[in-house]
Amino acid sequence: MNQLATFIQLIIDGLAQGSLYAALALAIVLVNQATGLVNFAQGGMAVLGAYIGLTASNLVTPVVGLFAGITIGIIVAVAASFGIGALIERFVMRRFMGAEVDTQVVVTIGLFTFIGGFIGIVWGFNYIPYPFYISGNESFTVLGVSISVWSITTFVTIMALMIVLQLLFRGTKLGLGLRAVSDNSDSAALSGIRVGRMLMIGWGLAAALGTVAGVLLAAKAQLYPDNFDGILVYALAAVIIGGLDSPIGAVLAAWVIAIVESLVGVYVPFIGHDLKVIVPFVFLFAVLIIKPQGLFGRRQVVRV
Amino acid sequence: MSTQQSLYTRVTQNRWTGLAVGIIITVILLVLPLVSDPFTNQTISRILVFAVAVLGLNIVMGYAGQVSLGQVFFVGIGAYAAAITIESDWAAALGPDLLLLVLAVALALAIVLPGVAGVIIGMAALRLRGLALALVTIALPIIGVPLLKRFEITGGSEGMSARFIPRTDTFPYQDQIQYFAILAISAVMFALAYFLVRGKYGRAFAIVKENEAIAASMGISPYGYKVLAFTVAAIYGGVAGFLYVVAIQFVSPDVMGFGHSIELVIATIVGGAGSIVGSLLGGAFYVLIPQLTNAVGATGYTPIVQGIIILLVLFLLPGGLASLPRVIRRLVRRRRRQGDSDGEGDGASASAPPNHPEREAIQ
Repeated sequence: MNQLATFIQLIIDGLAQGSLYAALALAIVLVNQATGLVNFAQGGMAVLGAYIGLTASNLVTPVVGLFAGITIGIIVAVAASFGIGALIERFVMRRFMGAEVDTQVVVTIGLFTFIGGFIGIVWGFNYIPYPFYISGNESFTVLGVSISVWSITTFVTIMALMIVLQLLFRGTKLGLGLRAVSDNSDSAALSGIRVGRMLMIGWGLAAALGTVAGVLLAAKAQLYPDNFDGILVYALAAVIIGGLDSPIGAVLAAWVIAIVESLVGVYVPFIGHDLKVIVPFVFLFAVLIIKPQGLFGRRQVVRV
Repeated sequence: MSTQQSLYTRVTQNRWTGLAVGIIITVILLVLPLVSDPFTNQTISRILVFAVAVLGLNIVMGYAGQVSLGQVFFVGIGAYAAAITIESDWAAALGPDLLLLVLAVALALAIVLPGVAGVIIGMAALRLRGLALALVTIALPIIGVPLLKRFEITGGSEGMSARFIPRTDTFPYQDQIQYFAILAISAVMFALAYFLVRGKYGRAFAIVKENEAIAASMGISPYGYKVLAFTVAAIYGGVAGFLYVVAIQFVSPDVMGFGHSIELVIATIVGGAGSIVGSLLGGAFYVLIPQLTNAVGATGYTPIVQGIIILLVLFLLPGGLASLPRVIRRLVRRRRRQGDSDGEGDGASASAPPNHPEREAIQ
């Protein structure tokens, strides 16, 4: 019974951690679908948003109280990163629209370095606790299973966001425009859709989504400039395994990675906590060799 | 007639200026270490070490057009292969008389092991088109660092020292010996790269970079050449790792750090993608920027300085620092054309010579 409880707990923790990977992976898929490029600065942008939220929260908390202060901090974080994402698209990425893919990748790597350096200068390189409704190690027990509140919050929040995004894409005019641009931006432009604005919104949405993950991670593990470097890599692994053009595939892959990682860390002593990072990548290589387009990706047909 | 002549003189001028610059750089590289202090020699040595790593990255990124974010992984493999060999029991048994043999074995391992790792990783990653290599190689330092920390043979988190020159006062000129060893090996690596990218393989890389479908239709396997370019890059990384051990005589898991991997990519682009001289400039950028920020007491500003420089270079100078003379020359010519409206203007309007394909990324 006790062993089963540990097992269930590990699965739940894996799902929560996997939801963080999933949020970032979804942001990467979102940008990739609209523009065909992978934004390596996605993690950095998420952390930047969280820092802005932290500052806002600290500013208003003495006036409006802790609960409202936290809420305002989160709203500011999400809104600010939406704006930053849109501005980066408009003033940086758009200048490189027609450029080669490798140039675009290097631009996002430059942004990654720049944002990391900017955070370090403004907020320093120390760990800062992020004000949140719950503390990272609060937990409750159900049938002998100890479940952390953070895990449940994270999982529920990311699930809710995914449903909202799905509704936005499938049920609104804006979503239709975004899908049209990602499908074929030339014909979208011909049918009167303002492609530039759609790209800005797409980048903004991706940045905002990433920042929610950033806030949730900071609530558990405090905030520091490199918060997302490791998680970005997991998200990229999820994106490759799930397929760059499949949001559902990316989310499922993110969960699988996190659950396997969480189980291996405990049940395979040789690998343990410090080496569990290699598990997703062994998996990744297996997928690349067996099914290079990703488990859920569409096969690209190349004609010569 | 006049246009041909101006083209002709321009080419000869180029060649002579190129030769002169080459001779000046060679003389400086040969003479300077004899008169300068050990710290300067160490700095130049490290620039050469990382120039070799950047040169490898340039072969896969600048010439074959595939972004690799894991070059530092191969530098680490090369460095640890060399350090473990030098510190091994059999090397100690051979004694100092056979030091050169030990170093030769260390170099061979620093070539073979990264090469094998490069083939395997390249073959898996490059099966996916587009950005696959970037997506997969970004994981290499993330996996590499905990692996290095885990095992005893690598000395764990503390790293390991690999002394092959006794560090005593009775042994002067240590920095010069290290320096000239590094200079000789990196000169060979640069010469090999020069012939590689100008020969058959370089042309194949260029075609694969330009258009994979056309390459395939010409009987050039894009997959094969991309794997080849990545493997060559890995070998260059390994040699850079060996040279790193020669220069520093110490390795720790930090050599494989994620940040360093990103910095090498930035150095490659800032120096100049697809340029041999650019790799040297990239090595200088990699070593000197942190040194500069340290010197002014602003260590925390290193990443943002690197970030600003790479973004500025991408916006203003897509060919990197190596393209600076070309850009200036073009600006001067344009100015001159505006000055007198006839005559030579015709020759200048032919603009960039065909053997310098410009990357008109921003327009």
